Amino acid sequence: MNKYKKITLDGLIYQNPTFMLVLGTCPTLGLISSAFSAMGMGLTVVVILTLSNILISALRKVIPNAVRIPCYIVIIATLVTFARMFLEKFVPDLYDSLGGFLALIVVNCIILGRAEAFANKHTVPEAAVDGIMQGLGFTVALTLMGIICEFFGKGSLFGLQIMDFKIGMLAKPAGAFLVYGLCIAVFTFVIDNIERAKRVKANKLARENLLKEVA
Amino acid sequence: MTVKGFFKSNVFKCLVTLLCVLLVSGIFLTVMNGLLAVSDQERLDRAINKIYGKPVSYTELAVADYNSNATIEAAYKIKDDGNYLVKSTGKGGFDNGTITCWVVVEISGTSISGVGKVVIDSNKGQTQMAELKDSFLNQFSQGYYDGIYYATSDGFFVSNSTKSSNAVCNAVNGALDFVNAQPGITGGTEDVYAEFDYIDNIETKQTSHIVDEENNCVIFTVVSKGYNNPTNFTSEITVNAQGVITAFKIIVNGSTNDSYEDKVVQNAKIFVGKNLEGIKAILNVGESYPVYPGDNSNKFPVSGATESSYTVYTAALFAAANYDKILTVGEPELPDGGETEEGGNENE
Repeated sequence: MNKYKKITLDGLIYQNPTFMLVLGTCPTLGLISSAFSAMGMGLTVVVILTLSNILISALRKVIPNAVRIPCYIVIIATLVTFARMFLEKFVPDLYDSLGGFLALIVVNCIILGRAEAFANKHTVPEAAVDGIMQGLGFTVALTLMGIICEFFGKGSLFGLQIMDFKIGMLAKPAGAFLVYGLCIAVFTFVIDNIERAKRVKANKLARENLLKEVA
Repeated sequence: MTVKGFFKSNVFKCLVTLLCVLLVSGIFLTVMNGLLAVSDQERLDRAINKIYGKPVSYTELAVADYNSNATIEAAYKIKDDGNYLVKSTGKGGFDNGTITCWVVVEISGTSISGVGKVVIDSNKGQTQMAELKDSFLNQFSQGYYDGIYYATSDGFFVSNSTKSSNAVCNAVNGALDFVNAQPGITGGTEDVYAEFDYIDNIETKQTSHIVDEENNCVIFTVVSKGYNNPTNFTSEITVNAQGVITAFKIIVNGSTNDSYEDKVVQNAKIFVGKNLEGIKAILNVGESYPVYPGDNSNKFPVSGATESSYTVYTAALFAAANYDKILTVGEPELPDGGETEEGGNENE
């Protein structure tokens, strides 16, 4: 399989940071009561994750192993501070709605995790694609859960009121926790079934080939 | 290790790498801060644009605080409509944080006629700002009564963001107090407790009471100023005709976290059954009151919430010391449109 295709599928599906690796749980539970905030956080993470992956990959041969973690943290903190300045200047509404969670991106496990697990072992283009895809996987997961929580918890979508019926608990972190758990269950179930179907198909093909050879 | 060896060692390489990363990051952020910093003028323009949808002419006013729960950052008198635009920072948010709001205080003639609009400018340490939508902020313009303070206990809150809602209420109340104190503005909140005893630590303009004639007692709703870390407490205190506190209930708890909130509720029980002398004896308050008596943790049943306990203590002291003045003078007049009910946080 093409390595970029593998990175893409890993980021979006097989190593989805939210549903498969269960990383970045703090902003997930705190922000999915609003689809707008969830998507805003996701897109911010895409930018920061991509830039941090690129920088860390580019500097992987320069940074000594003993001080790599402090260096990664400084790089990530710099990018998060830059993102905060940018959002406050150009997207103040999103900046306000993200509140304290924006600064907490510095300690987001996804970003430090990808820096340690992927960026410092791969080339710059690969690290960049990984950052984008992992970030998009996070964004899609957050937005999806944000839509579910906001629709059923507040009767609205992206702030637009749609219906009066609402289950208030779903708009709170406790409800978000339930939705998060259910989404992980559904996601894992679907992926498992697809994998199983692939294995069955491959086994069947192998058996047919074997029979042909025997015959 | 020799000097030459040090410069060739991995330690030196690590130090240089870290310093270089820090230096480049610092330079980058310094440049970006210069390019992206939001100036006060830009914030003001944004606020005016959100509120009015167009540029307006205004006169800048000198600022001062008239409410211990809010800090007035800036204030302007809008020439186009005669209203006031006040940038007010409310205390008492989540984790002792603050929320800064732009508040339009509408003027009719020479008195405040309502809150025109509330727009959130920024916050410190709040995590649920997305919950504070326009529907919540619009409540302030829809529910204005002259002399009444906004409070979470009166429904001005968003579920899941109660502390942040409290900070917004405080910001709006601070703006109203500021405008009320402006030259040329008449009416506003009459301070009926100005001559009462033990008022140094009491928000007298936010405090109220009713007389229960059937049971011959006074029910105070006392707002006591937060001491140091805790913010204001609102306590409902019932004092009978003998000056004994028969009930003490904390309505708004200004403690900084759940642990202190529980402790201060436990400590408040000590006031029930005591008169003024009994209350004074708890902390041995002399004529020099109000003086924070230092470490008084051993004077209350539960230690560890000293500042919060002191805050509610001053409320109990106020109620026990002044019940006889209420029974003598009767109830002050209600403001127009105001309606006092037991357990509320109204001001008279």
